[in-house]
Amino acid sequence: MLKVILRRLVALIISLFLIASATFFLLAAVPGDALSAQTDKLPTAARKQVYRNTGLDKPVLQRYEITMTNMLHGDFGTSIADPGMTMHTVLKEKLPLSARLGLQQVLFGIPLGLLLGTLAAVYKNTWLDRSVTIVSLLLMSVPSLILALLLQSYFGGTLGWFPIIGWPEGSNLWLGGWSYTVLPTLAGGLGYIARYARLLKNSMLDVLSSDYVLTAKTKGLTGRRVVMNHVVRNAAIPIITSLPVTVAFSITGSVFVESIFVIPGIGQYFVQALTNRDVPIIMGETVLLAALYIVTLFITDLLYMAVDPRIKLYQN
Amino acid sequence: MDSKFNFVSTSSATDTAEQPTTPVSIGFWQSAGHKFSHDRLSMTCATILIILVLVAIFGPMLSPLNPNQLHVNQQNLAPSQTYWFGTDHLGRDLFTRVCLGVRISLIVALVATLLSMVFGTIYGMLMSYFGGWVDSCLMRLIEIFNSLPSLLVTMIIMTVLGNGIGTMLFALAITSWAGAARQARGLVLQLRDTDYVTAAIMLNTPLWKIMLRHFVPNMMSILILDIGQSIPANIFAEASLSFLGLGIQAPNTSLGILISEGQNQMLQHASQLYIPILVLVVIVLAFNIVGDGLRDALDPKFKA
Repeated sequence: MLKVILRRLVALIISLFLIASATFFLLAAVPGDALSAQTDKLPTAARKQVYRNTGLDKPVLQRYEITMTNMLHGDFGTSIADPGMTMHTVLKEKLPLSARLGLQQVLFGIPLGLLLGTLAAVYKNTWLDRSVTIVSLLLMSVPSLILALLLQSYFGGTLGWFPIIGWPEGSNLWLGGWSYTVLPTLAGGLGYIARYARLLKNSMLDVLSSDYVLTAKTKGLTGRRVVMNHVVRNAAIPIITSLPVTVAFSITGSVFVESIFVIPGIGQYFVQALTNRDVPIIMGETVLLAALYIVTLFITDLLYMAVDPRIKLYQN
Repeated sequence: MDSKFNFVSTSSATDTAEQPTTPVSIGFWQSAGHKFSHDRLSMTCATILIILVLVAIFGPMLSPLNPNQLHVNQQNLAPSQTYWFGTDHLGRDLFTRVCLGVRISLIVALVATLLSMVFGTIYGMLMSYFGGWVDSCLMRLIEIFNSLPSLLVTMIIMTVLGNGIGTMLFALAITSWAGAARQARGLVLQLRDTDYVTAAIMLNTPLWKIMLRHFVPNMMSILILDIGQSIPANIFAEASLSFLGLGIQAPNTSLGILISEGQNQMLQHASQLYIPILVLVVIVLAFNIVGDGLRDALDPKFKA
């Protein structure tokens, strides 16, 4: 087990190094940088001074060396387009907003999705099953971007029930300003309902038609015990293993929902950094997100083995 | 005829003797086609898709209006007889613009899917055909690509290479080829040791011919399913990126651009937002349902 973790750790470091290098050189290859728009009209001497202050006047390889050594110490540098911002302040100021949005979406969407999925599997081929299937297919075909726009224009615009844009900040950061959070939460959460309802229904149907459930029934177990001891435990495998990715990525922010509802979270800031060619922030977010993604995939693998002893991923 | 044997029923004997008693054997593709054409929902959706494609191609010819012509005193009109879908904030005819948008969105989705499928399949076939260190080196590359969040990569590429259709195709293809490569690798791994492939190798058949004759036909059904899944995904990716301003840019248009323009007008003129959204959702829903129908028809495990 220790060996497995060590091997994954080495792979993680290599991947991150490659990702960081690739991002750096790709961004360096683009003509123009974060400063060119602002400094075009300045006299040459002043422009040179601005470039010297940010270190953008050095040759590419030297910049690469500086960036990579700093990154080893966890320092991604200061934002060029947004002076004073570092990855540290970004995480401190932007992440909580995205995290609340993500948590609300997950807490709203997944339990409801699981409930609907169970009902659809237990009452198979009834109107309930059919409506759950149709609604989830519809919701799967409508991504959060479209849902967010529709909710915003109808419930925010036409009916005027909820604010169109904005997000609670300051003292209302975690609790409060609920009316602002309703539409963004729905926009992401409805997708989770659809995904988890479908996932659980399919896996429950698989399990319900298996031989061991038949055996359990013929042994004379009550329906409740069959469901609790046999169906739930086996049907939960795909759910548990898909949870880490869902949770990790809901917290780091949904780019589209944040852009539409003008939520100053981490996703929106990334898009802003991209349009501004703000290299330090882009590098920082890319590396952190990639690291999170790779670690989450590893946790998923570990969960697979924990939940289902039949799965052995690491037999050399 | 031997006198010991008699026909049990003489009347029907003459009829059946002339007809072949064994059922006609139908091939895999015939059976799949039969199943699919009897799936009413999928057929309806396939028809809708065909109509939409025709409208996207010929739609602008139905209307005498130019999609890029500004009508300065006719801004933000509601749908009418002249302007079927109304006009936008610059007074451009929305119907022809939606047609153009669908056209671009479909072209992007189809070409990006094709690129990633062709590249991924060839990559996967090669790595598994050669095996050994080639296989493990190329596999590492797939693992790296799989461990990247695809939205992130697409957005960075779009920023680096600039906006435009070509860039978009590249960005979408580069994030999605790894899945196809993996699948092709797995299939060729099974096929590589079959007798007919060995025979082909012994006959000194060139590699491209082996791929085309023996590998590709065997993975056709799986490829079709993959294509069916990745087209709607690419339509969305294009729309979302263009919406964020990281995709196709004006004066070109696509569903994503139309939706983002509609968002600016949604409080006063909601139809400018709803129409492109409706078109997008119908296209994607139809693709998804056709994809499901194809899976039922092609996947031997799904014999319902």
